[in-house]
Amino acid sequence: MTTPTAAPRRVPKLGRERLAAVGFALPALVVLMALFVAPLAVLFAASMRGPDGPTLDHYGRLLGSATYLGVIWNSVKLALETTTIALIVGYPAAFAIGRARGALRSLLLASLFLPLAASVIVKAFAWTILLRSDGLVNLAMMALGLTQAPVRLIFTETALIAGSVNIFLPYMILPIYTVVAQFDRRLVEAAATLGASPVEAFLRVVVPLTLPGVIAGVALVFSLSVSAYVVPTLLIGERYQTLTTLIAKAYLLAQQPEFGAAAGVVLLLIAVVVVTLSARFGRPVRGRS
Amino acid sequence: MSARFAIAIAWTAAILAAAFLLLPLAVIAAASFSPTPVFDLPITGASLRWYGRIGSLDGFWPALGLSLMIACVATVVSLILGTVAAIAIAQGRMPGAEAISTALVAPLMLPGLVLGIALLNYFRALGLTATTTSLLLAHLIITLPYVARTMIAGLARFDFTLIEAARTLGCSWHQAILKVMVPALAPSYLTAALFSFLASFDNYPVSIFLTDARTKTLPIKMLQYIDEAPDPTIAALSTLILLATILLLFVSDRVVGLHRMAGTGE
Amino acid sequence: MIDGTAAHLVVSGITKRFAALTVLDRVDLAIARGELVTLLGPSGCGKTTLLRLVAGLTLPDNGHITIAGRDLTKVPPHRRNVGVVFQSYALFPHLTVAGNVAFGLNVRRRPKSEVAAAVHRALQLVHLEHLAERPIAALSGGQQQRIALARALAVEPDVLLFDEALSALDRNLREEMQIELRRILREIGATAIFVTHDQDEALTMSDRIAVMNHGRIEQCARPREIYTRPASLFTLQFVGLSSRIAGTVAASDNGRIQVETPVGRFEAAGTLAPGDRAIVATRPEYLRVGSDGGGNTATGTIRTIVYQGSRCLVDVEAASGQSLLASLSGDQAADLSTGAPIRLSWPVTETFAFPAPEARP
Repeated sequence: MTTPTAAPRRVPKLGRERLAAVGFALPALVVLMALFVAPLAVLFAASMRGPDGPTLDHYGRLLGSATYLGVIWNSVKLALETTTIALIVGYPAAFAIGRARGALRSLLLASLFLPLAASVIVKAFAWTILLRSDGLVNLAMMALGLTQAPVRLIFTETALIAGSVNIFLPYMILPIYTVVAQFDRRLVEAAATLGASPVEAFLRVVVPLTLPGVIAGVALVFSLSVSAYVVPTLLIGERYQTLTTLIAKAYLLAQQPEFGAAAGVVLLLIAVVVVTLSARFGRPVRGRS
Repeated sequence: MSARFAIAIAWTAAILAAAFLLLPLAVIAAASFSPTPVFDLPITGASLRWYGRIGSLDGFWPALGLSLMIACVATVVSLILGTVAAIAIAQGRMPGAEAISTALVAPLMLPGLVLGIALLNYFRALGLTATTTSLLLAHLIITLPYVARTMIAGLARFDFTLIEAARTLGCSWHQAILKVMVPALAPSYLTAALFSFLASFDNYPVSIFLTDARTKTLPIKMLQYIDEAPDPTIAALSTLILLATILLLFVSDRVVGLHRMAGTGE
Repeated sequence: MIDGTAAHLVVSGITKRFAALTVLDRVDLAIARGELVTLLGPSGCGKTTLLRLVAGLTLPDNGHITIAGRDLTKVPPHRRNVGVVFQSYALFPHLTVAGNVAFGLNVRRRPKSEVAAAVHRALQLVHLEHLAERPIAALSGGQQQRIALARALAVEPDVLLFDEALSALDRNLREEMQIELRRILREIGATAIFVTHDQDEALTMSDRIAVMNHGRIEQCARPREIYTRPASLFTLQFVGLSSRIAGTVAASDNGRIQVETPVGRFEAAGTLAPGDRAIVATRPEYLRVGSDGGGNTATGTIRTIVYQGSRCLVDVEAASGQSLLASLSGDQAADLSTGAPIRLSWPVTETFAFPAPEARP
């Protein structure tokens, strides 16, 4: 009944189960390696490719010129402005959607999902129509008496920001909504019974508990808008160069893949920093003294 | 600031946001019915003639066919790879499961354009010149993170006791997977497939670097049409794509519920 | 005890380790056909693991499991013909109530008419035949519990296994279900193992209780015997209330020992040797006010009196802060008041003695 070999048999068995699990994950990991990690490594190598071996010249050209630093700043500025506006509008909106029930909630969620599912090109195209001198926005402004004559809107920074916020706003609202929808409103009541005014309850209870959603939304909107390409191409064009348009030009027109690769690595680093920071600070609040 | 005032602000923000988000979609739909080649406001009449012209857009059908094919293939392959990987992660028997799930979702956070040029360099280095193959491979890495994220989240909520229950009721292991896990995860599959399909079908920043003069996906063709001749035909095409998207969302809402997709989705 | 040959389910010498942790240590258990045995113990005692081993959801490192004379030790769960009611119920969310109950029969490829009849029978047994076409999500916790039971019953299993099956229900519903479950199991003559950490549930439900601790069965006996004749200090403490006094064995003679404690010298049945550290104990029901309740007496001051309807639970502080619990009838407790001195006595035959646990380092 009790064979001495029976007990240690479990160890390799457990190993086999682990091996099977790794085997399950393997195909996806191979794809990830072959189509993500390896290409990025090649890109990194390309960004340092020179006529006589590895060089940092392309980075030097990018980071040593006021023009290109201005381009990088343009990208970051677009992302910062988009993120800020999206947060100001998105945070209260997410709360309202979180409170909504039934058909109203479905309607509001549909108004998030439909634009999200709609093509970026379609939406950007719509903004070119909206912002024309005889477009809806100008007509509305004139009707409201905000302006006498049509204002030039398309190919301005205002157009760029409006389009960018329009396209990326759902990415701010949804993560916050997810947190708000799970938020236990009795916590606010508990705070009130403990003597907190509504403002204090909001600042001390609601804000900390919804912070993970906010950080996720901020990271998402920032990293998406800093790497937006279709939006600046259609809504502002040549007059506002961003890292993305610079990269596209380096590859598609100028045939300077090494320079484009360097710009790509810089853009990648910006996105990675934001995402890493959000992962570091975006963990759900567990309990602090 | 009273609580009532704060609630009023929240509702105002939500309604304004909803209107603001739907505005461009409404504009596109309105423009597609414009009786004149320029979208005059106020609208003086309605015409369907632009819809008839979609088919005669230069290179439209091949582009649509290519985009649909790539989106479908990439989605199906991603669903298989992503689900199987998610099962391995969710069962928690694997070393470094959390790191692997982070890695699988990581390409989502990467600027699409950077992925595009990285793949361009990579395929050139490998000597891969077949456009359709490059596009398929590229879209696989675009769609896999969407599927992985949704399936990992879906499986994290999956009660593996259900498998044990099925086992004690007479199912072998693979029967239990097929009869219990697959149907119970159907909502996750649908969400994953939807996001994955749309991400591929709408992709511009990656595809742009991998297409050639003859092989172009629909988004690339559309941007080209907008650049060359932005007439209501593009609006009509956009409206049709929108209608198809609405249909997809409607079906998903019936089957899954949008509030559940919000949890697993974006 | 039931002898091995008549037993329907036999667990013998089962050992289970997870990495370095021994969860079950050479466990033996025999259950007769139609008997309901409860595995009772604190969390981590191995009771759920033992249940999973019987179900085949976990495989043992050593030992054997036999059901109806068939050695099932290495048989996968789907060929065991056991029914399990899980703590979370584990109802399939994508199927209706009827779909869940029919699941096991459909997997067994029984003809449609037979499945329909069996589903109807099983739902009738739990009084929920009117909910057959409902989705699972539309059911209350109590209804889900019954459906989980119906699903397990529908396949006519050789053994029914319940893993903390009632613990998710609220108290009233749980007590109702305990009686209901008892009725159903009697009605179909099911052999069942019931895992719980709730002693009241175990006392109510079981033909026999197996008290488990640290991967071993400390005692397996009828509920009354578990309560009145605890075989170990653990069983005494885990099931029911008790007064326990530590002391040293002063004399041992012919199965009787004298234990010297700060409260006094007590006599008990036992075989400990003089000089051994010992715990003497008794149940609150055996204590009487005055000196004529039996051979052991102690004095103290009344600390609290808790009215429990027909009886009163009196906590008496004896010498050196030692607590004595007495469950007294209404008229015995009538004249008592908090702070008053009291003398209590109880029979030697109802006094237990156990070796004192060694102080843990």
